Amino acid sequence: MQATLLQRMDGTARRFVPLGVTLILMLFALTPTYIPGLANITPMYALMAVYFWAIYRPDLLGYGATFSIGVLEDLVAGTPLGSGALVLLLCQRVVFHQQKFFNNKPFGVIWLAFATVAVGAGLLRWLCVGLVAPSGFTPIGQTFTSILMSVAMYPVVGWFLAKSHMKLLAQDA
Amino acid sequence: MRLPTGQISRLGTLKSLLQRFAYLSLIGLTGALMLVGKADTVLVERARDAVTDAVAPVLRVMSEPAAVISNFVNNLRELAAIREENAALREANARLLQWQSVAQKLETENKSLRDLTALVPEPSATFVTARVIADTGGAFAQSILITAGQSGGVKKGQVVMTGEGLVGRVMQAGLYSARVLLITDINSRIPVQVGEAGNRAILAGDNSLRPRLLFLGNASAAAPGDKIVTSGDAEAFPPGIPIGQVSRVDEGVVEVEPFVVRDKIQHVRVADYGLAGILAQEIAAAKEK
Repeated sequence: MQATLLQRMDGTARRFVPLGVTLILMLFALTPTYIPGLANITPMYALMAVYFWAIYRPDLLGYGATFSIGVLEDLVAGTPLGSGALVLLLCQRVVFHQQKFFNNKPFGVIWLAFATVAVGAGLLRWLCVGLVAPSGFTPIGQTFTSILMSVAMYPVVGWFLAKSHMKLLAQDA
Repeated sequence: MRLPTGQISRLGTLKSLLQRFAYLSLIGLTGALMLVGKADTVLVERARDAVTDAVAPVLRVMSEPAAVISNFVNNLRELAAIREENAALREANARLLQWQSVAQKLETENKSLRDLTALVPEPSATFVTARVIADTGGAFAQSILITAGQSGGVKKGQVVMTGEGLVGRVMQAGLYSARVLLITDINSRIPVQVGEAGNRAILAGDNSLRPRLLFLGNASAAAPGDKIVTSGDAEAFPPGIPIGQVSRVDEGVVEVEPFVVRDKIQHVRVADYGLAGILAQEIAAAKEK
């Protein structure tokens, strides 16, 4: 039986869920939270989403999409252009290459691996920004705070990402 | 039609080669973007303006729920402390009434002295009020996006503040949105006056919540509690805008606690003091007379 137009449209729309969710998380990182003390340490939400989809749906968030999200983030957040995209692309590549390792691993392991990726991503971003920005290197302490915040927030964001993934799978079946 | 196994594996190799090529091109592109960003700032600034304008409506909608929740929590907190606050306000009111009479006296005196010295009046400012829709506070940049741009009269370099004090300066103005460089950003340098003695210094951000004083003759010229206001040097800011107070003096490092509490900024005022421009005209006009 041939798929109807509506079904085909639905299928196409579903393929964009990972991109859409990553985009929303990236913008969410920019919205003011009004939580005292949190204003100047934003977790790397976009990295969490790229990491998650690279493990569970590498087919639905490709390099092109990740690059676009990184560049968009740099443009809107006012960070040196290209630095965010470079870090996201490298992290995605690392996870793609370790696909076997991530297979059927419990959440604890995935979380620990994210912590490793986040440390690498944070330090690389710090290096890129420091080399490119006219103001030079920023205090590294804040980069570590941001890494810690990202690791702490991963279970919450991961839960939200897993929910959207479940929705996708339920419709796939 | 079925392809022979050899052909399939060759197709697979070609596909993975293509993917690797695409990946390497994208990595190269990020490097190129970084170089472009360093070399051609005007082009990148235009791109930022356009993208920020396009994303602003989305950010505006997304920032709404957080603002509503924050206001609700604040209301609850205020309700709980309403009695104490009432007493404190009464006391403050009595004190302010006293100050009001002092101010009135000083104003009359000031006016008569100005008349005596024929002082050229400072240009008055025009204000635009805007909502904060994004706070890009991260370890690498400290700026906010606001809902007013060139179409509302906002221009690069204008002064941004709240009722409490200085927030920062317009760093880039799109048509409908603008980016404000906060005083805590590592790129922010503001000429300031310290305490009653009015010692000159530069307030420099370092991406933390507390900017520092640079070029203050000697650190002992500042003590915790000293008020910091803009000095008006270099004509980037008008003199006398409150910024914060010295919170810590430690081995030559002077930290300043800004009056504006970062996580409470919901609306800001963008002030056009028409600095240098208007001043120059007035000087010219005064010379003609």
